[in-house]
Amino acid sequence: METLAYLARRTAQALVVILIVTVVVFCLLHALPGGPARGILGPQATAQQIAAFDHDQGLDRPLPVQYVYYLRTLLHGDLGTSYTLNEAVSQLVGQRLPKTLVLTVLSAVVGLLLAVPLGMWQAVRRNKPADYVITTLSFVAYSTPVYFLGLILVLVFTQELNWFPSQAPQGDTPAQVFADPVALVLPVVTGAASMVAVFSRYMRAATLENLSEDYVRTARAGGSRQGAILFRHVFRNSLTPVIAMLGYYVPVLFGGALVVEQLFNYPGMGLLFWSAAQSSDYPVLLGCVLVISVATVVGTLLADVVQRIVDPRVKAGRA
Amino acid sequence: MTAVLQTAPVEAVPNYRVSLRKFTRNKLAVAGLAVVLLFLLFCFVGPLLHSTDQTHTDLGQVNLAPGGAHWLGTDAVGHDELGRLMYGGKVSLLVGLAAGILATVIGTLWGAAAGYAGGWVDAVMMRVVDAGIAIPALFILLVVSAITTPDTAGLILVLGLVSWLVPSRLVRAETLTLKSRDYVLTLRATGGTHTRAITRHILPNSVSTIVVAATFQVADAILLVAYVSYLGLGVQPPKTDWGGMLSAGLTAAYSGRWWLIVPPGLAIILVVCAFNAIGDGLRDAFDVRGRG
Amino acid sequence: MSGERERVLEVEDLQVRFATDTGEVPAVCDISLHVHTSETLALVGESGSGKSTVALAAMGLLPGNARASGRVTVDGTQVVGAGEAELARLRGRTASMVFQEPATALDPLTRVGAQIAEVIRNHRPLGRAEAAREAIELLRRVGIPEPEQRARAFPFQLSGGQRQRVVIAMAIANSPGLLIADEPTTALDVTVQAEILDLLRGLAADSGTGVLLVTHNMGVVADFADRVAVMLNGEIVETGPVEEVLLRPRHEYTRKLLAAVPRLVFQGEDPAPRQDAPVVELRDVRVRFGRGPRAVRALDGVSLDVRPGETVGLVGESGSGKSTAARVALGLIPPDSGTVSLFGTDLARSRGRRRRALLSGVGVVLQDPVASLDARMSVAECVAEPLRMHRRGMSAAERRARVAEVLELVRLPKELMARGPRELSGGQRQRVSLARALVLEPRLLVADEPTSALDVSVQRTVLEVIAELQRELGFGCLFVSHDLAVVQQFAHRVVVMRAGCVEEQGPTMSTLLRPRSEYTRRLIAAVPVPDPVVQRRRRAGVTV
Repeated sequence: METLAYLARRTAQALVVILIVTVVVFCLLHALPGGPARGILGPQATAQQIAAFDHDQGLDRPLPVQYVYYLRTLLHGDLGTSYTLNEAVSQLVGQRLPKTLVLTVLSAVVGLLLAVPLGMWQAVRRNKPADYVITTLSFVAYSTPVYFLGLILVLVFTQELNWFPSQAPQGDTPAQVFADPVALVLPVVTGAASMVAVFSRYMRAATLENLSEDYVRTARAGGSRQGAILFRHVFRNSLTPVIAMLGYYVPVLFGGALVVEQLFNYPGMGLLFWSAAQSSDYPVLLGCVLVISVATVVGTLLADVVQRIVDPRVKAGRA
Repeated sequence: MTAVLQTAPVEAVPNYRVSLRKFTRNKLAVAGLAVVLLFLLFCFVGPLLHSTDQTHTDLGQVNLAPGGAHWLGTDAVGHDELGRLMYGGKVSLLVGLAAGILATVIGTLWGAAAGYAGGWVDAVMMRVVDAGIAIPALFILLVVSAITTPDTAGLILVLGLVSWLVPSRLVRAETLTLKSRDYVLTLRATGGTHTRAITRHILPNSVSTIVVAATFQVADAILLVAYVSYLGLGVQPPKTDWGGMLSAGLTAAYSGRWWLIVPPGLAIILVVCAFNAIGDGLRDAFDVRGRG
Repeated sequence: MSGERERVLEVEDLQVRFATDTGEVPAVCDISLHVHTSETLALVGESGSGKSTVALAAMGLLPGNARASGRVTVDGTQVVGAGEAELARLRGRTASMVFQEPATALDPLTRVGAQIAEVIRNHRPLGRAEAAREAIELLRRVGIPEPEQRARAFPFQLSGGQRQRVVIAMAIANSPGLLIADEPTTALDVTVQAEILDLLRGLAADSGTGVLLVTHNMGVVADFADRVAVMLNGEIVETGPVEEVLLRPRHEYTRKLLAAVPRLVFQGEDPAPRQDAPVVELRDVRVRFGRGPRAVRALDGVSLDVRPGETVGLVGESGSGKSTAARVALGLIPPDSGTVSLFGTDLARSRGRRRRALLSGVGVVLQDPVASLDARMSVAECVAEPLRMHRRGMSAAERRARVAEVLELVRLPKELMARGPRELSGGQRQRVSLARALVLEPRLLVADEPTSALDVSVQRTVLEVIAELQRELGFGCLFVSHDLAVVQQFAHRVVVMRAGCVEEQGPTMSTLLRPRSEYTRRLIAAVPVPDPVVQRRRRAGVTV
């Protein structure tokens, strides 16, 4: 009952956020000069051609009208038609989004699986040489532009060692993508690197905070050993704030996917978006931003719900 | 009785001195500070000692490996790479610092207003922040690059506008805590104005949180500047920045001309690391919340 | 009486020093003590005396920056310098500990039954199911109703008192010979405190456990202890049987400490009632927090008033709404219904400049000495702030003079003016708050638990200063407190609150000596008095 009410409230919030996103994106694309018609028809287009194009695409009507019209078509699942690919944006996105999700989810899982134990280990060995080394490495991983890291990895593992290919799997479905796991290694590692850096820091901080909590002292006073305390109590308590942070990290993951897909020529949404930006394909740009934002909002929502399941206090609304 | 009354002071040393001591004891943070100072010297004083021509191409001197007159070699149009590193660093550092500070200022004002107002004003303002966070910054930057190529000031503005969201959240949280502190409650209960509560208590007490946020924000902004050229938004040649040098050198790297990417790449990593380390040190020294 | 019986805890020449930023700080200097089976030794002292450090040292639980030397043996095993594995075998089996803060002492994400079972399985080779059954049995023993269901609860689903019972169940799970209780009831309401003390006393008596009770509360000592050791600045200044130490203290410090303890008295006259118009008046005030089905009714039809020159004590247990009522009186929480009139004016109807002028007649002192003052301001600036707000025309020199004057009133030396709040002790800080509250010569002083974070000796001075200034300046005082003894000493009238309602109110003495409501009677009965003879008689049910 309470969970349902919570879900309803949280979903309503998410819908408001999505509505604001549509306004932002709409304004961003339409209020700026260098209109879409010129972008599509090229510099040689005559004024009549442009007017005709604008009329065709509804670009000559007042902005609020265009917005309302846009919202109504959105509700029908219609994201418009690509200027350059002559295909429905929803179809393009529908093909590409699963592959981007495969890449981001895989990167996130690999990143977390490395970051969580690393952060705990650092907390236990805090201010020892190993902690300093890992801290420095996480700073470096966080501070390296994704495309630079990808380049270095390709130079080392493809050009020098020839262990992994520099192209990501090219298949059209997620199944085909998984058919070539070796080709996934470099894209996933590139995508996971900064995640490991950020989340090992969070986990280290959360573990340190929990190690100084009273309940740890109570457990020690009851004769529990350090290892048991870490795994039975501290681990779960430290994980809950980290899960909450995961929600905020979803947009960063998608941002990373944009670069990784371009770098490794992985035909997901990022690459679609990238080529749309090169050709001023506004419907695709608009559609992708919207879908990515919705995915982000949903991701944040999921993180909240997971946190609620893990932490009984959140469920009761006390924490 | 008086003997019991004159109990020992809880903390005899003023707070900022404790913070300073904590900061200077953090080796990574002090190293970070040194790195930032060195790079500032390198980029702004360096050109006086090692003057090079970064505006005209020199087609007789292209793609030279490091050595001789060109310590770090030359690029595809004959610019001296060491000189270019200084030249590009000026832009990277200036844009990064300005954009980071701009983002912090916008975020502080927005967050403080939302947190102090509370109620539905807060709810609406925070949904706007949520929406901003939901659109990944790189996507917005790429959309902007499809529309226009801004000048340096425009670039600072764009970067500031996409990155004020995180500081606004932090400052809002801080404002929420501070406005229910006993001394603010006392002030309000005895007829103090909102203006007084904000200007005399809440903002001064948020300074450390804001400074820490600004440091991290500058680190992120310098990193974002490095993406900007890659996305096609960067400053136009012959001007450049570290990110521009890096993206220009990407293809060259495959043919073994490592000196075109390693120096700018390392410069970015070092400076961003340094600002993050300073931020970490400041956060621990001030004992405030901030990102982990 | 000693000699024959076994000593479960023996401390000899224990020294503990803490390494801090400013060098080594001694916390415990060469103390020796022991606890026999079936006896309770109370270790008493004020904050910073080192009493908790002794308790932690006995469990080998000192923090990382502590250096201990000397001999601490628990059931024959030397604890100082022992390895973690050896200590783990000892803790929870030979010696157990109960902590002060039940809110944080349990892992919030683990069911309480599992936490008890963990202690059992740490020391005995029992299966999961068997340990779980025993955990339920333990919950029953510590008096938790429906232990089968409660074992599956998370700590946040239990009240503070129940949580403390769970901690006690963990402590007695393996029938230890020594139980160390560090302020086990300090965070609890007085009626819950009485129940927990009863429980601990019963358990110790049943199993012959030796108890080391660390506390600052002389009433708890009188209620529970067989022997007492008084600590001051890391040393034991007096040891002896409880009657000796509490009734015939030999050391000067013990005498001073006992004199400062507020005691319930059992006879007295009501002061003459005041007739002047009230400075503040709450009429049928209702406040609810939250909306919908989760809304909590914080105040439900509360009416009270404070007249010039009198102190009204607002008492009640946590959650009774006493602090909310004080905040309504201050205009910080607008009531959902009912009226608040301040100096005869309806607070809800005055806005802006008029409201601020009205509020300038109010002084406020809140509980937390740390959070009450802005740490960035000097003492002088803190005290001068109301003058800057409401006496705009005052020159800097006049302001300085007024601040100096008020600081003298609250008996703070002038030298402190330039200091920051961080450099002051808790008592000094509360007196700075008081100076700030009095600088405008208020007609109403609202004090919300102004002394509950302070040691008794400091508390007494702060209370004396308030009472003296009230006689001098004639302000009305709304005094919120959980401590009935303090209220009895200090208030002219008393308002007893419970669950958002006024349970009863009237002149202090007649209300507290002849309570009309059953709840007030229970509240008074639960307060332990620092006299072991009287306390033993009260516990036996004899009315005094």
